[in-house]
Parts: sequence; structure tokens; C-alpha cells
Amino acid sequence: MATNTRGKPNKDTDDQVLQWVTFRLDGETYGINVMQVQEVLRYSEIAPVPGAPSYVLGIINLRGNVVTVIDTRHRFGLPAGEVTDNTRIVIIETDNHVIGIMVDSVAEVVYLNQSEIESAPNVGNEESAKFIQGVCHKNDELLILIDLNKLLTNEEWAELDEI
Amino acid sequence: MSRQHPDRPQAVLQSYLDELLTSSEEPEPHRYADPLEEQRERLQKLLYSASLRESTAEPIPAPVVVEPEVKTRTRPNVQSFAPEVTRREVREEHTAIEVVTRAEPEPKQEPEYEEPEALLEEPEAKLPEPEAMAFRAKDLEWLDNGRPAWAQKRFDVLLFKVSGLTLAVPLIALGQIHPMTDELTPLFGQADWFMGLLPTSMGKIRTVNTAKFVMPERYDESFVRTAQYVISIDGVPWGLAVDTVNQPISLDPEDVKWRSERSRRPWLAGTVKEHMCALLDIPRVGQLLMEADTRRRA
Repeated sequence: MATNTRGKPNKDTDDQVLQWVTFRLDGETYGINVMQVQEVLRYSEIAPVPGAPSYVLGIINLRGNVVTVIDTRHRFGLPAGEVTDNTRIVIIETDNHVIGIMVDSVAEVVYLNQSEIESAPNVGNEESAKFIQGVCHKNDELLILIDLNKLLTNEEWAELDEI
Repeated sequence: MSRQHPDRPQAVLQSYLDELLTSSEEPEPHRYADPLEEQRERLQKLLYSASLRESTAEPIPAPVVVEPEVKTRTRPNVQSFAPEVTRREVREEHTAIEVVTRAEPEPKQEPEYEEPEALLEEPEAKLPEPEAMAFRAKDLEWLDNGRPAWAQKRFDVLLFKVSGLTLAVPLIALGQIHPMTDELTPLFGQADWFMGLLPTSMGKIRTVNTAKFVMPERYDESFVRTAQYVISIDGVPWGLAVDTVNQPISLDPEDVKWRSERSRRPWLAGTVKEHMCALLDIPRVGQLLMEADTRRRA
């Protein structure tokens, strides 16, 4: 198994190499596909939206565009956390939707071969389990890879459009 | 000179002396051959002078006369209104009485006024709901461009805060801003977002607990203590309780992200991008409040 932690993609094999942006949430490290990440923002004031679903923190103004920010901890069934200097809002794009997810901190971008990704065991709680695409052991640490397309259901995406 | 008669010289002298005496004051010839005409002229002069005195005389002030006339006229009107008029007419009559009542220190002089005074106690029960809703019908409409009728061109909004949440409302349907200096009068059997009746010079305003109405999922009980103003909605007897009020701002329709789907939270028109605050469709809010009130009564 070829492994590239932060180096170049492996050209010797057909093993597809993907880049993942890792972030921290309640002591765990998660990864999302870098192709779906538009940018990473420092925490800025999030305006609450009346009547919004409980997993929505509110909205921010991103260069004139209104972007909905998801409470990732709430979505993953984790306890609420405090906003710190490391808190970031990751702007992601999925299926014609642009949203922000608030995380405790953003760590780095890592390269992972497809073969490195293992199917998800029963890690995390039940809430977060349905969003997990796979896991990977990296530097003696478990990296949980998130399938952003599963972060919200179709109904929930539609719900966000109403905000 | 002839001496034709011995008495003649004396007669002539007498005549001469008479002429001397009377020449300087030659008797004025009578203007009126008939003395009745002279009397008639004097009478005319008297009448003329009398008419002059009448015209220059001070007009007699009549306030004392007016007051009893008003009372005798008002009383039968009120009595005749009570049994037959529609709800709207009752309110108009009632409003007029209320103004009079505030102007006079002792409003309860006539026992006949007790009936309208009793109506005053519950003004919310005599409200012209259908007309108020019809008045706002044009503002309720959303056009094909995805914007409400009141936002087809630049429009002004008022920003205010409710439990830390900034809200914007178009000025088009706002009434007045009333400080919450008086205690709200609670009413039983109301929705949970009903705070109470606020007495104002414009009547009693049914005050909405805006925090609970807009964001029940994040409601903080402290709002009841922090709310300082009530913004009345034009056309309906309702008002929104708010914490603070900011200056109004002017918005271009492009400054707002308009909601395309409003089946849920129809009172939310969109989001003001620059200020990142919710824009309330205040005509729709008024309609919803009136509908809620109608359902409650039914």
C-alpha cells in the first residue's frame, strides 16, 4: 500500500490520490474532500435566522452573498463548544449549494491514496456515523472522512433554500 | 317821489324796515310742500341711524348656546348607534367619544355615556378586521420577479433588535413607536406570543412578544424585561415589542436576498445582505396576526 502523507501523489500505481482538508471537532480529526472546499474563514459574527432549523447557526455575508452556516457539532451529535481564536468557518460546495460549516479548528491538507481509506467501523456516535465516508489511520491518529453530500438530506437542502 | 297817500310814507317806511330786518335772513323756501314729507324724511333718517347702530354693534358670542346643542344632539346619536350599527361604525363613534373624553376632566357626567365607555374597555373586540386586511391587500402581493409589491423600487426599512436579533421592517406598514412606560394589561385566552395591551394615546395596542413570535426556538424569557418599545403596525391594532430601535435605512431591492419559498414562515420576506438581518414582510405579519385573532375568537 502506497502512502503519501503530505507528499506528491503516487504515480507508480493506479491508486487514486485525493487531497483532504482536515479539521478538529471535539477532539476528533475529520477530513473533507479538498475539491469541495472553497475557502476557510476566520470566525465572524453569524446572524441568526428566525425559524431556521436547529442545525443552522445562522448566516454570514461572504462578499455580498448570504451563506448559511451549519452547526457542525450539533449536526454530528456532539456537545456545544465555545468559539475560540481557532474557530473557523469552512465554506464548502455541494450539489449547487454553498454552505459554511463551523469547526473547532482547521489543521492541514493531506494526501491520501484511495487504498488507504478504510470503510467506516462503528466510530463516533450514531448521528455522525451516517456522514462518514471512511476512516484512515494517519500518524497514529484516526482520520474520519466526511461525505459532505450526506451531510444534509434533500429535504434539508430544500429547507436551507428557504432561509 | 310821489305823495299819493298820507299814510303812505309810514307804510313805506315800515315796509323798508321790514325788508331790512328780513333781507339778511331771507326765509328759506319750504322744501316740502307737504309736512308729511318732512316727517317722512325725519323718519328715514332715524331708521338710517338706527340701522347704522345695528351694523356697528358687537356680534353676540354664542358659545353658551352651542354647548347644549351639542349635548342634545350627541346623546340621541349614541343611543341610536348602539343597537343597529355595524362593528366598524361602533368603533368610529367610540373613537370620537374617546377623544372627547380625554379632553374633558369629567367624562362620566351623563349616564347615557356608560354604554360607549363600556365599549372602551375592550377596544380590541370592536376592530375593523376585514377592512384592515383589505387595506393591506395590495401590500401582501408578491410579483413575478420574486419580490413583494412594496419592494419594486427603493424602499426604507427600520432596523431594530429583539433578544440580540436584528430585524428589518419596511416603513410602508409601520405606525408609530411607543415607549413601554406603562404596564401591559394581560388578557387570558391569548396566544403565547401575546404580551398584553399597551395603553397609548392612539388607543390600546395589542402587543406581540416579537422574540417568541419570530424565534420561539431560541426564546429568552428575559425579553419581557428588556423590551422597551412597541412598534405599531399601520392598519391593524397590533404592535411589535422590541428592545432597541435604530435609524431607518434605504434599501435597493437587490440588497435583499428574497425568499422564493414562503409556505413556512410567510412573514419572513428575506435577508438584508449588508446587515445580515431578517427582513419581515410586515403587511403579512399584520395579516397573520389578524387571522390568528379571528381563529381565536372562532
